[in-house]
Formats: sequence, structure tokens, C-alpha cells
Amino acid sequence: MSYIEVRNLTKTFTVRKKKEKGRFFREKASVRALKDVSFDVEKGELVGYIGPNGAGKSTTVKILSGILTPDGGSVNVGGLVPWRDRKEHVRRVGVVFGQRTQLWWDVPIMDSFTLLKEIYRLRETDWKTRLDELVLRLDLEKLLSVPLRQMSLGQRMRAEVCGSLLHRPELLFLDEPTIGLDAVSKLALRDFLKEENRLNKTTVLLTTHDMEDVAALCSRVMVLGHGSKLFDGDLDELLSRYDTVRIITVRYDGDVSLPPLPEGCEVRREGDTLRVLYDPARVRTAELLALLQDAGAIRELTARMQDTDRLIAKMYQEMEL
Amino acid sequence: MGPLRLYLKSTAMNMRIRMQYPLSFFMQTLAQLVMEGGEMLAVILIVDRFDTLDRWTGGDLYFFFGMMSVTFYLTEFLGRGVTGTFPSIVRSGQLDTLLLRPRGVLTQVLCSDADPRRIVCIAVGTAALCMGSAASHVRWTFLKALAMGEAILAGMMLILGLFLIEAVFCIFSVKSVELVNALTYGGRSACQYPVDIFPRPLKTLFTAAVPFALTLQMPAAFILDKPLFPWPEWTVFVCPLSGAAVFFVMAGVFHRALKRYRSTGS
Amino acid sequence: MKTGAYRAVFGMRAKMELQYRGAVLGGVVCQVFFGLILVSLYRALYRSRPQALPQETVVSYVWLQQAFFRMLLSSDNDLADKIRTGDIAYDLCRPVDMYWFYYARIMAQKLVGSLLRGVPMLAFALLLPKGWGLMPPASPAALLCAAASLAMGLMCVSAMENITMGITMRTLDPRGIQALLNLLMTLMAGNVLPLTLFPDAWQRVLFLLPWTQMLDAPIRLYTGVRETAAAAGVLGVQILWTAVLMLLGTELWKRNRKKLVLQGG
Repeated sequence: MSYIEVRNLTKTFTVRKKKEKGRFFREKASVRALKDVSFDVEKGELVGYIGPNGAGKSTTVKILSGILTPDGGSVNVGGLVPWRDRKEHVRRVGVVFGQRTQLWWDVPIMDSFTLLKEIYRLRETDWKTRLDELVLRLDLEKLLSVPLRQMSLGQRMRAEVCGSLLHRPELLFLDEPTIGLDAVSKLALRDFLKEENRLNKTTVLLTTHDMEDVAALCSRVMVLGHGSKLFDGDLDELLSRYDTVRIITVRYDGDVSLPPLPEGCEVRREGDTLRVLYDPARVRTAELLALLQDAGAIRELTARMQDTDRLIAKMYQEMEL
Repeated sequence: MGPLRLYLKSTAMNMRIRMQYPLSFFMQTLAQLVMEGGEMLAVILIVDRFDTLDRWTGGDLYFFFGMMSVTFYLTEFLGRGVTGTFPSIVRSGQLDTLLLRPRGVLTQVLCSDADPRRIVCIAVGTAALCMGSAASHVRWTFLKALAMGEAILAGMMLILGLFLIEAVFCIFSVKSVELVNALTYGGRSACQYPVDIFPRPLKTLFTAAVPFALTLQMPAAFILDKPLFPWPEWTVFVCPLSGAAVFFVMAGVFHRALKRYRSTGS
Repeated sequence: MKTGAYRAVFGMRAKMELQYRGAVLGGVVCQVFFGLILVSLYRALYRSRPQALPQETVVSYVWLQQAFFRMLLSSDNDLADKIRTGDIAYDLCRPVDMYWFYYARIMAQKLVGSLLRGVPMLAFALLLPKGWGLMPPASPAALLCAAASLAMGLMCVSAMENITMGITMRTLDPRGIQALLNLLMTLMAGNVLPLTLFPDAWQRVLFLLPWTQMLDAPIRLYTGVRETAAAAGVLGVQILWTAVLMLLGTELWKRNRKKLVLQGG
């Protein structure tokens, strides 16, 4: 039996439509946020959960963490039903929202951590050991006496992560944890999360739009669109499906006389620089390179894949999301 | 004693937060004093002009006013999370956070705020109680003190229960503040005065449905030796339990409503 | 002075207020309930000890206060928030006189807000049985005078609130001062207890204060507590106070603006 088992999960929201002119009461409409979603997650797995806005990602996470009650289907996390056994369930769960704070805004974060000890009924010694460990790993020592509202976003995020992990959750939900962070903070946070997963076998479900987060942390991804699961598997496998474009950029010295390129190549010329986009399945790279070399004296040449965001955008497009 | 310990710890922190800007805190407290002082002034002026209200003397009226004032503002002081902050807890999405913690949601809502500004209102209410007690020559006994303690506790539960109605509407994101205000603040305004002066529909409302008469006024009238209803004396100690009943019923409804909470944002 | 911008903001704010029609129903029900409680109380008090002032006058006072309650209350939270967050600095850069810009905005909100609630409430109060409801005006002339006085009262209360806003801008955390001024307003304007029930000696002083010019003056004319013959005097005091409050307000806003410019926004 898997650690997380989700079967045929459905959730429908009733939303009030915008009031039309001349009508006294608003009309209601129902939106199916989740239609029949099923998956398993093993203990210690790091899973990325992606999809365009409004796909139902947050709804899933909120159901799995016990905030929402679904209309149908079943969820079992380590033997508990999140919404039914909420208190026992959330004791083992940690959540980090990138856009929302769970600590107290106006008091030094140490006060927040102390209150969390009370809320989770942690034993003094356990709490102290864990806090010392996290403070060291997240470099929070100097910040303990600073109120959250005076912190930079990066510092705040570290404090949030510390607060969410104090009770040693075995399951961690991350909702856009790196949003708005600078490059250094982003890398540090990713390293920390990987380490946490390695040291404590923490199961992690990461919801994000940042594909670099997914690439850095997760080997497995699930794609959600219009409330249904569209893909579940290896990230590289997913990317290779949509990875149909290579880009070669060439800068020449002096004149360029470009011969006609094979069918399926797209050329963009800016001054002495040529950019060629082609599908490696249709055009042989060696042949293309030979043609480019004949065209003039090459000063510089780079070849690369299309960036991940474009791939994902293309994937969403093809899935008609 | 888990919840109580958590409540005390949280409240200590909330008080510190409230006091972080002393000048603003002072001004706001002053405003509270003007508010409750104004209400008290109205009663004093009424007594000055009319002397009596049916069978109740001026002292009796001060006493009824004080009972309501002390009870209402003790509730606002200690239970501000329910009486004031809950709508913003829902709107800001903080309710999600509360649901993510292994504690009762209602406990956490109560822990989320305390409002020490109300102390001045409680002081005004206490002054009214003293004035009333002196003017009406109340002979205090142990039983009367007990009745008063029970009345205040039961009254606080009743008020929390009434504010929970608004909380439930909030969970379903129905804007209802003004209708619920009619019960809470309307109830407070009306039941500063003994209910038997009101016409039957209002009297019934505040006895049977929103039982301020049973929780606060029966004990107050008992202390003044002028029973509110011609019922046996022991009912004075039983009837206030209706306030607790309202609270427990509403707490139940609140928890049912949470099952249908739909959260906000993406 | 071109009035286009001021008329535009007046119209915009009035339209915004009209959008909250749905919320009005709840407000009216709540206000009617409060009215019934107060009327019951004063009826009981009169039953115990009748007064020189007729009971139906006090009852009418209560209904008129409840109906126009919205006019007294400062409830432009957008504006208060703007001041709190400092976003008002953007507005101060506009090429209009900010005092009158906000004056128009406040007045529109008060006018539409209180008409939306007041008209159905007064209709309801007129239908109530005698002794419970609103009495008809003392005379047709009294009605006319009261209407003129109410219009003046609206101008006066808007000037007052604009001063509150001006003071608010000067304090770092405005909640305290705002609450204080609001409460002073409800108490002194007769919303907590009809001013006609205050001790007679107090009333003579209260008459001369700005707060009685807003709602108390028109109500006195309507109910005939002040004779129609005295209407000119009543209106005179109202006009005087409105002018004084406007002068104070414009001066305050002028200084605020200077201060803001000096601080660099």
C-alpha cells in the first residue's frame, strides 16, 4: 500500500456569476475543479505537481492537507483520511505557501516558534533540538529576534520553512516556495529541501510554475489540466515528448552567403548573426552544420534546446489547456 | 488543560502585539472610553429625566446596564477572535492555516486575538454595577455573588454563540454583517434595560430566542430582590445555562460549516 | 474654478454607492430593529413619567435619526485606507483642489447612502400605528424648512468629515483619532440619546455646537420643537457653522499639502 493513495477524487465548486443587468438575484454556476483524479505517492518521494492556473492543483493540495472536503473519491495518507481525521493528520503534515505567511507578522520569529511548540504540543527537548538544527541549516541565528514584517522575502521564506518543519512532518506540501526569491535564495532553498528529503525521508509534493524548481527537486511530475491528470511520470520523458526544437546560433566574420537550407529549418538573421531553429527528427544535424560552415567564416557557434518554459507552454497548448 | 494553556500563551502574545504602538493604543482606548461613557451618560440622563422605568428605579437601571456592559466587553476583550477578527481571518486565507494545525479551529480562533482596549469599557460597566448596587441598597450574599458570576459566564457564552452566527455566514462568504448586528449589538442595546419594559414580541425574542433575559437579567433581578419572572428561586441558577446551550449549538453548526468551507484563492 | 472634476467625482461616488443596493436591505432591517427597540424604550419611559415634550415627538426623533444615521457615520473606508497607506499622495498631485474634490466625494456618498436607507425606513415608519411611528410634519411649512435644513446639515456634516480626514492625514496611525471623532459625532448629534431629552440647560449650549447642526436641527424643525418662525435663526446658525468648518477644512488641507510636498511625498 502506498503512503498516499488518491482514488477518483472529485470536487465541484458553486460560484456565483456576475450579476446581469435587470436580474435581482445572481445566477449560480458550478465549476468542476477536480474530475476523477487518482494517483499514488510512495514514502520519501519528491513529486512535482504542475499545470496552468486554475487546473485544480491547489484544490488537490487543500484536500490532501485536510482544509477542504471533497465531493467524491477517497484519499488515504498513511492510514488516515485528511478531512475526517484532520487533527491527527495535520500533526504529520507541513505546508509552505510561497505567497502566504503562517507565522505571526508582528512578533519576533522566536515567539512564533515558541507558540508553535504549544500548538503542536511538542516536547521541550525535541523542539529545542529540532529548532537548533533548523536554525543552523537555514542560517536563522541572527534573525530570531526580528519580527517577520521587518524581513526581506528571502529571510521570511527561510523563517516560514523553519516554522513548517519544527514538528518534523513526514509529508511536506510546497506551494510555489521560490516565488519572488532571488537566485541565491532560490538555490539555497532547493538545496535545503533536497537535504531535508534525504535526511528525514520526507515525502514532498511541490506545486509550482517554476520548472527549474521541478527540474532541481523532482524526478517525477504530474501534470494537471482542467481538473484531470494528464501525465504522470519522469520529467525527462515528459520534456522529450515536446522537445522538438533545437536552436543553433552562428556568428560570422565578414560576408555570409547562405545556401538554401533543408525543409523544416527556420532562419532568423540579425546583422552578422544567424539563428536556425530545426526539428532534429526531420533534419540531420551534421548536414545542417556542414551547410552553415560553407556559408562563411564562423566566429562563434552555440547549440541548445528550447527553454523549459517554452516546452511547457507548448505542452499546455497541445493538451488544449 | 491544553486549550487553556494555549489560550493564555497566545493571549499574552496578542496583548504585546496590540501594545506595540502605545500612542495609537492610547488613542483607541480613549475612543472606547468615550463610546461606553456616552452609553452610560445616556442612562444617567434618562434616570435624571424620568426617575423610574416601570417598577425599576434608577439604581436598578444602572445595575442592568453594568451587567450587560461588563459581560459584553469581557467577551470582546477575551474573545475578540470570534467577535471581531473572524471575517478577516476568512478573507485573508488565514483560516487555511488554522485548519493545518492539530488543534480545534474554534480554540485557535479564540486564541487569535484579544482586545485590551475594552478594559475601559469593562471599567465603566463595573462603575455602573457599583453605582447601581449602592443606589438600590443591594444586600450582597454568597448566593447573589454566585448568581452574578454564573450570569456573566453564561452571558459571555451567549454572546460568543451569537457572533458565531456571523462566523458561519462568513465561511460561506455571505455578507450578513448588518443582519447579525441586529442580534448582537441590537441585543446589547435592548437588554441594557430589563426586558419586561418591552412589548411582547421583543420580550419573547430576548427570552426564548436570544436569551439575554434568562442569562443576564434573571440573575441581575434576583440580586436586586425584584424577580424578573414569577418563577421559583432555583430557576435563577438554571436558566442562565441557556446561554451555554446557544454557544454549544452554534459551535456545532460552526464545525459542520467548516466541512463545507471552500477556501479562497488558487 | 471649473466644477467639472468635482461633479465627476460626485457622480462616480454616487454610482458606486448605488451598486451596494443589496447590502442596503440588511442595513435597513437592522436599523428598523434598532428603531423599534428605542421606540419601545421611550414609550416605556413615558408610561412611567409623562413629559412636557409629547411622546410622538421623541418617537419621530428616533426614526429620523435612524433613517439618516448613515449621513453621520463616516464610512468611506476607501478614503481612510488611502490615507493610511499613503496612496493619497498620488491624489494630491492631481490638478484639482483636493479639499473640494474630497468634499464632493464625501457628500455624494452621504447623500446617496442615506437616501437609499432613509426613504424606505421613513416609509415604514409612517405606516406604523400612531405613537409607534413617524408623525407627519408639524406643518407644510415645517416640512419645507426641515428639508432646507437637512440639505444644509448634509453640507455641514460633509465639511466636518473632511476635517476629520484632514486630521487623520496628520497622524501616523489614524484609527484612534478617527474612532474618537466618530463617537463624539454620534453622541453629540443625538444618536445615542435624543438631544431633546438632555437636561434643558445642556440643550441651550448644545444648540450652538457644530454637531447639532447636522441632523438635530432639521429634526427639531420637522417635529415642531422649534417653531417654523425660528427657522431663519436655525438655518443661520447652520450656515455659520458650515462656513466656519469649510474655512478650517480648506486651511487644514492646504497645510497638509505643503507638509506633504516638503516631505517629498
